[in-house]
Amino acid sequence: MTERQHPPPSGPASSLAVLALADARLPGGGHAHSGGLEEAVHRGTVTGPHELREFLRGRLHGAGRQAAVFAAAAAHAAARKAPRRCWSELDTEYDARVPSPAQRAASRSQGRGTARAGRTAWPSPALRELMSVTDSPHHPLVVGVLVGASSLAGPKDAAAVVAYLSLSGPASAAVRLLGLDPFAANAAVAAFEADTERLARAAARTAGLPAAELPSTGAPALDLLAQAHRKHHEEEVRLFAS
Amino acid sequence: MRSRARLVVEADERRSVVRELRSHAPLTLFPRRRREEPSGAVVVHLVGSATSPLGGDDLELDVHVGPGARLLLRGTAATLALPGHRPGGSRGSVRIEVADGGTVEYLPEPTVVTSRAEHEAELAVRMGEHARLCCREVLVLGRSGERPGRLRSRLELERAGTALLRNGFDTADSRLRDSHAYLGGARVLATEAVVWDRDPAECSGDGWALMPLAGGGALSTVLAGDVVTAGSALARAREAHPCGTELSPVAG
Repeated sequence: MTERQHPPPSGPASSLAVLALADARLPGGGHAHSGGLEEAVHRGTVTGPHELREFLRGRLHGAGRQAAVFAAAAAHAAARKAPRRCWSELDTEYDARVPSPAQRAASRSQGRGTARAGRTAWPSPALRELMSVTDSPHHPLVVGVLVGASSLAGPKDAAAVVAYLSLSGPASAAVRLLGLDPFAANAAVAAFEADTERLARAAARTAGLPAAELPSTGAPALDLLAQAHRKHHEEEVRLFAS
Repeated sequence: MRSRARLVVEADERRSVVRELRSHAPLTLFPRRRREEPSGAVVVHLVGSATSPLGGDDLELDVHVGPGARLLLRGTAATLALPGHRPGGSRGSVRIEVADGGTVEYLPEPTVVTSRAEHEAELAVRMGEHARLCCREVLVLGRSGERPGRLRSRLELERAGTALLRNGFDTADSRLRDSHAYLGGARVLATEAVVWDRDPAECSGDGWALMPLAGGGALSTVLAGDVVTAGSALARAREAHPCGTELSPVAG
């Protein structure tokens, strides 16, 4: 018996690629990163579910939105079979929007892991083009390419995946670092459903802009946390790489 | 109020000279001639000559620095971003072009975002291959005890056509400002971008970090509760920069 081919449904679709890329069990190395939360816990600024939610608010609207903007742009470019020059521009322009070297390194290390998983599961010409620019591409660009190559998903889905990961990473780190109630941590993530939707829509609207004109959404406090984490990581034992 | 000011500096035989200077109220440019700078730089003061920016104001300053020329552009007093009588925000834009071998130091005084102001501040610098740059920005969110209005700032640096830094920041709402993953409740956000002959290693301390950029140059970011603390953190970041002593002192 053969499986019947259905046309893609109209309206909100959830492609398997989108679900798998947002899954913490994807073997891409995301579990090693706390997104600045370990440093915040170390400083005593995040101690419970309320502080976690407020931390996540900044994560989502600063670094999360920046990643979403580039994931959407990469998905747009992948769907249009963009030339190699376009991938090197996106790489340089993302670098220019992440002043913290610790955050650039965290993004490239997760990008490298996700690309490795993607090469096996969802190979595409766009992924090969991106990997020809650098073997450690930024994580949002890899997610954008993998989502964009799927006929069932587009820029908004890619943006939603990285926006969600910008919340879920620190939230699960909070469970490990603070022994926080996992249900409370999960509820802190769920509180941002409407924000995530708005942000993913906005990222999809800018996805077709030239890379130089994509928005920049800085979060200086997170830059300082990321740099302090890296410094302390070298001096003492830390659970997470960032 | 719409204002367009312009400044052109070029290298003479042994020093830098102002070739063109067009002030346009409220942006007034004063070349300082009291004494020669040891660096050979021409020193120009930027003076706000009217209460500005108010809602509805649109201010633009264009600066060109020729090959081998050196400019030190200083502010003289804090800028107060205020709401206007008419709807619509204010906008201040500084565009600097530095040719190969040119040097610009742009050291304005702090910008204070008062309650109900809606201000957009942009600094865009385009540099030639071997140009040098130091630019500082100090944003104060509200006068003492005051909730700030909204400010969106954008700092863009390009060298030889490649982006080194595109750093946007939006003061947004108070919950976001208080988030430790956004602004951490700081009242003062200060940055200093330095693109000089050598780049630093990363270095950080309490409330500040000196961060080398991916394509060259470095950004110091400071979060503090007041301007004096922010100033001393920026000074510590300069001490950690291998070219820190070549930069002009901030108070002059």
